[in-house]
Amino acid sequence: MSPRLSRRDLARLAGLAVPGALLARRARAAAGARVGLAPLAEKELTPAAARSALEKALVAATGATSALAALRALLPATETVGIKLNCLAGRGMSPRPELVEALAALLREAGVGRERILVFERSARELRRAGFSPGERENYRCVGIDNDYDPEPSTSGSIGSCFARLVSTTCTALVSFGVVKDHDLAGVSAGAKNWYGVIHNPNKYHDGNCDPYLADLLRHPFLRQKVRLTILDGATAQCHGGPAFRPDATWPLGVVAASTDLLAADAWAWRVMDGERQRRGMPTLAAAGRPPRWLATAQGYGLGVGDPARVEVVRG
Amino acid sequence: MHRRAFLGAGAACLLAGGPAAGQRSRPPDLHLEGREASWYRRLPDRRVECQLCPRSCQVADQERGGCGVRENRRGTYYTLVHSLPCTVHLDPIEKKPFFHVLPGARALSWATAGCNVECKFCQNWEISQFRPEQVASFPMPPETLARQARQAGAPLLSATYSEPVVFWEYVRDTAQAARGLGVRTTVVSNGYIQEAPLKEVLPHLAAFKVDLKSFRESFYREVLRGELRPVLRAMEIIRAAGVWLEIVVLLIPTLNDSEAEIRDLARWVKGHLGSEVPVHFTRFHPTYRLTNLPPTPVATLERAHAIARAEELAFVYLGNLPGHPAENTLCPGCGEVLIRRAGFAVRENRLRRGACPACARPIPGVWA
Repeated sequence: MSPRLSRRDLARLAGLAVPGALLARRARAAAGARVGLAPLAEKELTPAAARSALEKALVAATGATSALAALRALLPATETVGIKLNCLAGRGMSPRPELVEALAALLREAGVGRERILVFERSARELRRAGFSPGERENYRCVGIDNDYDPEPSTSGSIGSCFARLVSTTCTALVSFGVVKDHDLAGVSAGAKNWYGVIHNPNKYHDGNCDPYLADLLRHPFLRQKVRLTILDGATAQCHGGPAFRPDATWPLGVVAASTDLLAADAWAWRVMDGERQRRGMPTLAAAGRPPRWLATAQGYGLGVGDPARVEVVRG
Repeated sequence: MHRRAFLGAGAACLLAGGPAAGQRSRPPDLHLEGREASWYRRLPDRRVECQLCPRSCQVADQERGGCGVRENRRGTYYTLVHSLPCTVHLDPIEKKPFFHVLPGARALSWATAGCNVECKFCQNWEISQFRPEQVASFPMPPETLARQARQAGAPLLSATYSEPVVFWEYVRDTAQAARGLGVRTTVVSNGYIQEAPLKEVLPHLAAFKVDLKSFRESFYREVLRGELRPVLRAMEIIRAAGVWLEIVVLLIPTLNDSEAEIRDLARWVKGHLGSEVPVHFTRFHPTYRLTNLPPTPVATLERAHAIARAEELAFVYLGNLPGHPAENTLCPGCGEVLIRRAGFAVRENRLRRGACPACARPIPGVWA
């Protein structure tokens, strides 16, 4: 079934910055199903180290000559950039503020105005729990969606949801800034599952290990056309017990990951989580009954590369 | 104004000057306290299994069940909506609709956010399909709700609008509090509930209306992601418990309005619940995610009425058709008009001590 759009959706999409989107699409296509990795140790997470790691990951992910060149291609200055964080697990397993600050600073240097950089999560309360301060920051605005959803639902396959207006209306380009962690139902919660946080009714779409719901959500034009980049804070990762923070299931993965492919970062996260689970004598996610099947479904939709074996890892 | 805002405003009007006045608004960023749920079991790894509705959601720490109003916090399952309604209204009982329960009486009707299914045709989706932090709610403990009903001169309370199963502890506690004040509690539900919680609360209820969405499992699976079989079982339990039961079927063009389906439904009701259980066929209007179908033709509703009567159901009504003769209650014995209605208004009630004044046939229901 193809996604059904209301006239309002179409009007909004028509209003996107078309030249920017075309440029970004070209940049994403050039990068392919690549995940760029850069080393980052949790205990060395200074602002400078965060920036350096992020720059290396961006260059590795895109093949650009520099992080600024990569960002200029993916997120031109004409865009309003929404950076969606995944802060559900609180301070223990959320993107570190140092990394988010580094991304916002790089975007500023790449030409995006401060008022056009929006760092957001489901609620201001969740942001605070993860160490962020909602409000005006030096390089961005930090906001919770709270109750600001579209008044009518929008349909994409099995999904029927009101989207956050930040996603449907305000932002013209999106970045998923997640973590590398297990999810009790989806299998993996990294870059893609983070987008459940922009609809009003994610609780309705966890059956069947989130398949096909998560794939259907990613196929919605708001996401398919606007998401340009996925960044994962993998300094510490969690292979079991998610989505909540479970210290005993974490390990120092020690990387920042970036990808322009909508699915590749999640496919890579699946691979590294299974590796850690096997190292600990635990069953793989598939054997544990929660393979992220939605990745294959989403790949079948042509949204990206969800097969871990097809993802190219480039170390920066 | 959106329906969500309208419902909230309605509650605000009703409660102005009441005990909860001034506490209505809940900032969306406020933490939902919650209280421990009554029906669940703990699983390894801080997971829980909900034992309230047949979905039996297995919920990880920090996650919520499919209803969106129950949350696992470190292995303890919480209901987030106990004593936290998002709407409270005084309605005629005919609006539920109950046609055999104190005709013309008013029912203080309340709901919280949330639902355990997702009907694509939900009329109240702006509260049922949202989570409690996404709608304006206000604290109102069971005792206050019961007292409000009594103060308003309403002999009935009605848990309705969204889905009472998801606030079942609140229903139970309110029904208990209301009984002490001489107020009876009714429930308007999809009937998608496990047996144990249903049986536990039934003794506190005066009447139960089940929205039977269809008589086909495929419809339940595809249109609302639920199941038919547990709903049928729930109706048998309600009937066996002696709680007054009425059934509503929203007829949706092409989806659940075939002659065969209506005949199967009527036969099942007669065979399993008895021919005197009222069945209301109501008219669909396009809404929420089902906007590509027209309103149900009147002829379709009248055909359903004829089929059900031919299958010897004694009390068959048509709804969302104000002024239609099938809103009236007729004596199955002699055909006398017993209760004449126009929409939600009772124009005439000729029942004498629960019986037909012409032939003295007892008419089942809650009449006093």
